[in-house]
Amino acid sequence: MTWIDFANLLINGLIEGLVVALPALAMTLVMGVNRFPNAATGDLLTTGAYAAVAVQMLGGVPLWLAALASVATTAAVSAGSYQLIFRKLAGRPMVASMLAAIGLGFLLRSLISFFAGHDQRTFDMPLVRAWNFGGIRILPTDLLIAAIAAACLLVVFVLIYRTSFGRQLRAVADSADLARASGIRAGGLMLCLWLLVGALSSISGVLLGMKAIVTPEMGWESLIPAFAAMVLGGIGSPLGAVLGALLLCVVQELSVPLLGPSYKLVLSFLVLALVLLLRPAGILGRVQLVR
Amino acid sequence: MIAYLCAIGIVALIYCLLALGLNLQFGLTRLVNFGVVAFFAVGAYTSGLLSLQGVPLVVCFIAAGVLSGLLALPIGLLSLRLRDDYLAIVTLGFSEAVRITIQQESWLTKGVQGLPGLPKLFAGWGGGLSDVAIFTVLAVIVGLVCWGTVRLTRSPFGRLLKAIGDDEAALSALGKDPARFKVQVFMLGAALAGVAGAFYAHFITFITPEQFIPLITFYVWMGLVMGGSGSVRGAMFGSLLLMVFLEGSRFAKDWVPGVSEVGMASLRLAAVGLALILVTLYRPHGLFGGKAK
Repeated sequence: MTWIDFANLLINGLIEGLVVALPALAMTLVMGVNRFPNAATGDLLTTGAYAAVAVQMLGGVPLWLAALASVATTAAVSAGSYQLIFRKLAGRPMVASMLAAIGLGFLLRSLISFFAGHDQRTFDMPLVRAWNFGGIRILPTDLLIAAIAAACLLVVFVLIYRTSFGRQLRAVADSADLARASGIRAGGLMLCLWLLVGALSSISGVLLGMKAIVTPEMGWESLIPAFAAMVLGGIGSPLGAVLGALLLCVVQELSVPLLGPSYKLVLSFLVLALVLLLRPAGILGRVQLVR
Repeated sequence: MIAYLCAIGIVALIYCLLALGLNLQFGLTRLVNFGVVAFFAVGAYTSGLLSLQGVPLVVCFIAAGVLSGLLALPIGLLSLRLRDDYLAIVTLGFSEAVRITIQQESWLTKGVQGLPGLPKLFAGWGGGLSDVAIFTVLAVIVGLVCWGTVRLTRSPFGRLLKAIGDDEAALSALGKDPARFKVQVFMLGAALAGVAGAFYAHFITFITPEQFIPLITFYVWMGLVMGGSGSVRGAMFGSLLLMVFLEGSRFAKDWVPGVSEVGMASLRLAAVGLALILVTLYRPHGLFGGKAK
């Protein structure tokens, strides 16, 4: 492998990492606040991608507009699922929420495949030629994807660390009882959180669809990588989720010449298991979240 | 008709065996195993591959149980350090990793093409009779496992397991080491799933990686949670309910016109999803009650 191949894989890994960072961030937010891994995150991502496909099939709708519509739809689905399911499971064993999340994932995915079938779909967008810098190839689309993902991450970080919404969210994450005692009303806050989670998932779904193809299984396949990224960075740490996603995806890409692309998910699993064995708190996590 | 009932009975008993294994892990010890299908798959492939080499079936079945059990050892050790939600995702990831490995390593497993022509159990007895024989043997094994589980629950070891599930910290404070028992139970449950896999392989006689998707795991979960986890009766009843659901949805296709085979598969998946949501929301101790935990 020459250094040019290496650079190409590195760039690809970073772009993918930025996209995976979005669901990883969504998962880590729910994990930090509602204390369960939302296994439906992947299928919310699929919902987002298909919502955009559906809007585009109406005809003549530009992708950005379809993406906005999909963000609204998926955020509503996500907030609705909190209101109808997960709100009622708070305080019950974590397994209950997890099982319900798996059930919700199945439900979303099967409704999609029932109405849209199992065929691969793509977004309606112009084909562009890759820029070539002496062997280092960069697709303008990929650059756009990376920029959008980075912008979304920036917006979320501003929301979490610079607004009263974020302050309250972090207060609830630290101690729900203390937050309630100091007058934070959890109801509206949780709905906002789940709207945000839906929006993040939907954007990553559209970006993944722009990068490759849209299938009913796409979100499920990104569940384990997103979880691995979250654990790698440290549960409950938003910055950790992003760092974890970047690191994981770069490692995955660099392993492709050795293992082939099919073993990406297996590698995610191995990274996940190793991190949990060696440093369960992750890169930036707090230890007390792990037994 | 009798052949059909027999076939359904065999599949139901295979799910029973899986549910009993999961009941040991989750129902008794609260180990959240979302990767049941991995051990099922390893059992099926171990026994299938060995039998194609001419190894006697009895040895194949034992090897399936032993290998699945051994494979659970590292996951069991990992589980000692993990909270249940982490273990859930790790086992889920593990089952997908196993499925992809089976799919990719075609030098061993023939990849997506699968393994056709596996020897059928009791093939020498002739078509109808061999199914009856398989059913009988499975029923005896399931009965033994039920009996063993009940015995286990009432033994000091069983009380220890229950205590692990209820309050591990208190148990450690009493000077007991829960770690060894957790790993043992995890391995035992996995071994049962492996044997179930071997039965599946030598009943269906054709296995492919596609038969071992995570949905199977959640079928078993659905059955156990519906029946009421923690009790043998719950596991048995849940598996029966699951079978009614799986077979019933097959017939439902005749009543709902205009739905294709693929569409029906989607609807079935939707029903599993909905069932998991509704049961956890409204019937956390199973459809027919059971004592609160």
